[in-house]
Amino acid sequence: MSKLLKRALKIAVWPAIIMIAAKVLGILGINALYNLDYYIDNQIEGIYSVQICYTDPSSTILVNSLSDIIMIVALALPTFYFTIKTLLYETSFQNPRTIVKITELNILKWITKKGTTFLQIFIWSAFLTTSSAIAIAHSVQGNAYSWVGITAMIIGILSIWGMIKTYQLETDKIYPRENIYY
Amino acid sequence: MAVYSFKTKTILSKLAEPLLIVALITIFVLPILSVINLSPKTGEIKKSDILGASTQSGCTVDLIGGQHKIFSSEKLTQTEGIGMFEYTVTIGKRSAGRYSKPILRIKNKTDQQKTIIFDGQTAINTKSDIFLLSGNNSYILQNSTGITHTEKLTFNPNEEKIIFLAVENSANVQFSEIFKMTISIE
Repeated sequence: MSKLLKRALKIAVWPAIIMIAAKVLGILGINALYNLDYYIDNQIEGIYSVQICYTDPSSTILVNSLSDIIMIVALALPTFYFTIKTLLYETSFQNPRTIVKITELNILKWITKKGTTFLQIFIWSAFLTTSSAIAIAHSVQGNAYSWVGITAMIIGILSIWGMIKTYQLETDKIYPRENIYY
Repeated sequence: MAVYSFKTKTILSKLAEPLLIVALITIFVLPILSVINLSPKTGEIKKSDILGASTQSGCTVDLIGGQHKIFSSEKLTQTEGIGMFEYTVTIGKRSAGRYSKPILRIKNKTDQQKTIIFDGQTAINTKSDIFLLSGNNSYILQNSTGITHTEKLTFNPNEEKIIFLAVENSANVQFSEIFKMTISIE
């Protein structure tokens, strides 16, 4: 059995759980916080027969926007942590200034052990980008505020950029770019 | 034996790989579909199926329900407006004759006299007389030529009546029909 597949499966479980849980808890939390009136519709349209509905469009937009943001933040925090950690780890080998800065910030732990793989960053970034795309779609459809769509787009672009940067660092290990060393 | 077991293990692990790919795809697709599906929507509260309802007009309308060979899929829904109901039933294929079933229990809970208006018809005419029965009185809603009538029933203070739906046809009817009736409390 492919080790890569097994590992990918193992890594993908957590972002999948976080994505659903953050959205659901976001909806429930905002309902409780703003004391909104909602009802459960049981029309079978998608994979679930349960659909949360609001009679007021402004409530729908508020709940959709904030729950989308909660979902994106819940996925963005670990993704950016993994990406920054890997980038710092890799650059600390080549740049002593990075080590000095890391020591000043008291985050030496981040570069003492790699602990993060490109596969992990790739999977988390894929989930984050998808979540951002959903939030952008909600915003375009008028089901979420426009600032949610813009924030989601920025976070999505940053996550793709982080993933590409990590990929570049990984490929540099295999095919070193000569201009860096000479 | 050890070689055989190793070969089996290798084959099984190769067979499991496509399943692992499917599982991986599922793990990616499932949260996406869940989030899309769980995203709240704006909608109007639909007319709800009710077994009985107390209205602001002070009358209660209860669906009696139960099993019947000819009358099936009974539904009582509260429509927009105070004291407005819609009753639907499927009248099945039947031999010539007269059939009836208790359908509603209506009670006037006020100390004033109330009038309840019944208006019902089928989408297609099966040359049957469809009427309501209450006590010894019958109230025709649709006759065999398809002409419909609006019927009014008067309820005295705290009076309760059981309303029967009856259908009578002189020839066999070979197909089902849906009968809709609106009930409005004045």
